Amino acid sequence: MEVIKTKNLTKTYDDGAVPVHAVNDVSLSIAEGEFTAVVGPSGSGKTTLLNIIGGLDRPTSGSVQVDGQELRSLNENQLIKFRLDNIGFVFQAYNLIPVLTAKENTEFIMLLQGVNEKKRHERVMQLLEEVGIQEQANKRPGEMSGGQQQRVAVARALASQPKFVLADEPTANLDSKSADNLLDLMLKLNKEENVTFIFSTHDQRVIDRARRVITLVDGAISSDITK
Amino acid sequence: MMLLKVAWKNIWRNKVRSFVVITALALGLWAGVFAGAFVKGMMQSKVEALVHTEISHMQIHEPGFRDEYQGTYVIENNDAVVQSLQQDERVEAVSERLISMGMLQSARKTSALRLVGVNPELEKKVSNLHEMLVEGSYFESKVKRPIVLSQKTAEEYDIKMGSKVVFTMQDIHGDMKSAVYKVVGIYQTSNNMYDKMTAFVPFALMQKMYDLDQGSHEIAVWLGDHENAEPVAAEYSEKFKELEVLPWLDLSLGLRMMTSAIDIYLYVIVGIILVALLFVVLNTMLMAVLERTREIGMLMAIGMDKARVFRMIMYETIFMSMVGVPIGLFISWLSVTVFGQTGIDLSAAEYENLGYASIIYPRMDSQSYVVVAIMVLVMAFVASLYPAIKALRLKPVEAIRKV
Repeated sequence: MEVIKTKNLTKTYDDGAVPVHAVNDVSLSIAEGEFTAVVGPSGSGKTTLLNIIGGLDRPTSGSVQVDGQELRSLNENQLIKFRLDNIGFVFQAYNLIPVLTAKENTEFIMLLQGVNEKKRHERVMQLLEEVGIQEQANKRPGEMSGGQQQRVAVARALASQPKFVLADEPTANLDSKSADNLLDLMLKLNKEENVTFIFSTHDQRVIDRARRVITLVDGAISSDITK
Repeated sequence: MMLLKVAWKNIWRNKVRSFVVITALALGLWAGVFAGAFVKGMMQSKVEALVHTEISHMQIHEPGFRDEYQGTYVIENNDAVVQSLQQDERVEAVSERLISMGMLQSARKTSALRLVGVNPELEKKVSNLHEMLVEGSYFESKVKRPIVLSQKTAEEYDIKMGSKVVFTMQDIHGDMKSAVYKVVGIYQTSNNMYDKMTAFVPFALMQKMYDLDQGSHEIAVWLGDHENAEPVAAEYSEKFKELEVLPWLDLSLGLRMMTSAIDIYLYVIVGIILVALLFVVLNTMLMAVLERTREIGMLMAIGMDKARVFRMIMYETIFMSMVGVPIGLFISWLSVTVFGQTGIDLSAAEYENLGYASIIYPRMDSQSYVVVAIMVLVMAFVASLYPAIKALRLKPVEAIRKV
């Protein structure tokens, strides 16, 4: 079943003398349960493509559908709600709320969704256990290592039970061991719980684990390989 | 609840900055309240001094007397009016006065002065001037032609206790009369202007000077409750239509305006201070928002709607106000209470020349504390609007680009 479908997706930045096509006529579809890496050199349009798929940016032309919903037809408030209910985000710099504990960071997104306290508590404990961070539940981000923080970020991304998780360079700030552990965790979640992951990355370890690798060059797909 | 928790914790992320805002709020509130209480104390002392010493609660004259101060404006049905007042339960005391504008002469100086003829025992019940003697007594000596005048007058005319002065005036027939008086008492009020212009002699001596057998120029009335002054004056005005009956609020120029403006002064002062404070809070909250651009963008990216972002910023300011305002209110209450008892001595500033007391007792009623606290909270709310709107304008994608 298709979770994401784009057709002739284009994003052009026209502020300079020469228009720049950050995303150039990209048509792709990603099915539920995929573990996909979007790769390419810097400036190839990976992040822009993920931002458009994630409803954070709007394309200049073309269409992008998530679970059958055309994102271009949603206004800003509708997009925020859509992101809350359908998309999980994992950022390169973790971006946890510094004043909240690991447990509270994970719980926060469910609170925005209006999930009741009992369900929130159950799910938070389950997620923290899944990502192997239950011991750190009451620690704040500043008291955890980068790898631990990124695990909390994964738990937070999954807390809203999204259709898919977008991870923008999730291993870029991690040491080798933490990066391996994190990727193993994501792969496990993908295999066991059928969570759909889409990465933008330079990291060979991500590329090695990905079952599908989409390569972008100058905003266009140059190759799309399923292993 | 989580949003409140995040906002509360956010304000303690940068303790120094939050401390600056809380201190600014507390000190701003204190400055506003104390300055207002000071002005209020100053104004009220002036009003009270005017009423207790100079004008009493109500006065009755022939129409025109207060404009011209001519001796011919004698209240003709004086006895009937006095009798009516004495029978009124609301009236505590009545004192008749004969007043003349004339020339006071000493060896050193001759100048205009208002001489008031009073019955000392009755006058003591409508005015506290007898309590303000710095030398001598209030007509208690057996001197035949006594005069009580002010310290200022004594200094200007170079006269002392026991000195003799000459007062020249027109009698009721228009003839010039002069009489020699011996100084038996020297008083000092908080109003230099009043002091310079006013002296007192016994009522009977003024009757003689005027060549009058009966009647007076002014009937001063002291009521049991000063709040009754306006209705009682209106009633007597109706009863004695040919006379001018005025409550204390209308007896001194600007008194009514001053009384009604006391609270306005307070709120204007607080308002000015709050405008300055507004920019302190606005600047700090704006810094707090700009520093957290990425974090706020991330919150919007993961699905926090604009209303919640807006509320989070507003809560942060409101929480800081909720810490700063009680502290400010406590300091204000403490300082107003302490200085309200000890007073602030401003004799060096010579405020007496303007009719104000030299020692000011700051005053503030509980209702004004509440109003000022609400004003500060409203200010904090307004100050946080711009930072909150600024936060709403952030594009989540820009935060993502930064990662």
